[in-house]
Amino acid sequence: MNGKKGGVNIFELIKKVVFTDFVKGLMVTLGYNATKSITLKYPDQEKWIPYRRFRGLHTLNRDEKGRELCVACELCSKACPTQCITVIPMEDDTGRGISDRVARVWKVDLVRCLFCGYCEDACPTRALRLGRDYELACTDSSCNLKQREELLVPQAVPESFEGGVVASSTFIVTPAGIRIKADLAKTKRRNW
Amino acid sequence: MPDISLIATLALMVIKVLVITMILFMLPLPLTYVERKVAGHIQVRLGPWRVGPHGLLQPFADMIKLILKEDIVPDKADKFLFKLAPFMAMIPAFAVYAAIPFGDKWTIPFLDRQVSLYITDMNVGILYVLAISGLGVYGLIFGGWSSNSKYALIGGLRSSAQMISYEIAVSFSAIGVVLLSKSLSLVEIVKHQGGTILHWNFFYLPVGPVWFFIFLIGATAEINRVPFDLPEDEGTLGAGFHTEYSGMRFAFFMLSEYVAMVTVSVMSVVLFFGGWNAPFNIPFVPPILWFIGKVILFIYFFMWLRFTLPRYRYDQLMTIGWKILIPVSLVNLIITGLMKI
Repeated sequence: MNGKKGGVNIFELIKKVVFTDFVKGLMVTLGYNATKSITLKYPDQEKWIPYRRFRGLHTLNRDEKGRELCVACELCSKACPTQCITVIPMEDDTGRGISDRVARVWKVDLVRCLFCGYCEDACPTRALRLGRDYELACTDSSCNLKQREELLVPQAVPESFEGGVVASSTFIVTPAGIRIKADLAKTKRRNW
Repeated sequence: MPDISLIATLALMVIKVLVITMILFMLPLPLTYVERKVAGHIQVRLGPWRVGPHGLLQPFADMIKLILKEDIVPDKADKFLFKLAPFMAMIPAFAVYAAIPFGDKWTIPFLDRQVSLYITDMNVGILYVLAISGLGVYGLIFGGWSSNSKYALIGGLRSSAQMISYEIAVSFSAIGVVLLSKSLSLVEIVKHQGGTILHWNFFYLPVGPVWFFIFLIGATAEINRVPFDLPEDEGTLGAGFHTEYSGMRFAFFMLSEYVAMVTVSVMSVVLFFGGWNAPFNIPFVPPILWFIGKVILFIYFFMWLRFTLPRYRYDQLMTIGWKILIPVSLVNLIITGLMKI
């Protein structure tokens, strides 16, 4: 198209006659055809373990002695932009928490939560963290509301694990539901 | 008292027809699987994986789904034509195989009887194939017309326009092959290409490759595959001529399309790449394997093309057909004729 007006660019014509652009495109796709797939075989064989910075399901931590770190200060629910965290404090001197003020109710509405992480920033005792569980889907609305008791159970991926790897996993189907169990000992890095 | 050899010949013919028909009916199962695998790998995915090992049972799952689906006929459709159209598309696609040679004569071990690996050796085989495969477009037009849907109508319209612009170029390339091989019979055309690889029509320089590319472009347009899949342009027409079809009727369209793709691959091999002739003199490889290998390469090529190229616009397609392919094939015809004097 950059030739003289009305004239035919011979070079362009030859390129068209021998299908240069077609061959170039075909070679590109053939190259991709020969490369390895980047598909993660989730959930059958592989599962992505996110980095530590990942913000998944909330988790409530305990200290080394097993006491709850949460002091029910309600800062998390104040910081929450969607008001999805409900904290009801109570007095307790049985040594359940690190202070004599513990949470009677600590619940989060996952439908409203936008996983911004303001609550973990607000937490003065590092009791509340956003963990690395991300399989939050369920078939009814029962799992939308997460209670304190559920969140106190340690998550499958510990805080100390670095993440950013693909772990081999097994897909477990039970009448209670489906579960993907990742084997953190067998991991591999992938360079996308 | 009929002759025993007559009955044997008749039985052999029936068996050959049945075997070829069954193979053609089963063909879409591996072809859909391979097509999806090729698509997956070109797009750096895996393709079917979950059903069976490496997704091998996926075609069967698809087949069960298609059989169990409700067969919907639109309320305002032309019922008769609507039901007729899939068969109009399918029967010509199958009938083409009556004339296609898969191999030469072959002696059955222990029986000492010769079997030809083709149903018939027509003396006008190439014309028969062109004529019958050209009939397949009626299925598309009927389907598009009778559906009473704008998308289907435009799809059918496009397929007819596409057919008339490309059938001429394809026929010209067939004339070229006839000039090169001095016969209209497909068996004779293949036999003429026997010997070394240089006897293949494709390597009859300089006109052979030109005929081949004219044939390839025209044939791609005729079987409605990318980059010329305008009749079922899913980007703009829903699904084109088969928008309103569902269940087994849709499956018949799919079937005929896949069979047409195999037909074009087979015809390319027969007309330009020496049919069952081996390119090099390697012993112990039966000719039928060479034939199948070449056809598989062509099928892969069509799938490869599909996931590489974008679709041509309607007017571009017409321009290529009328303003490029037909003049080029006329010039090429003169050159071929002069070379063959």
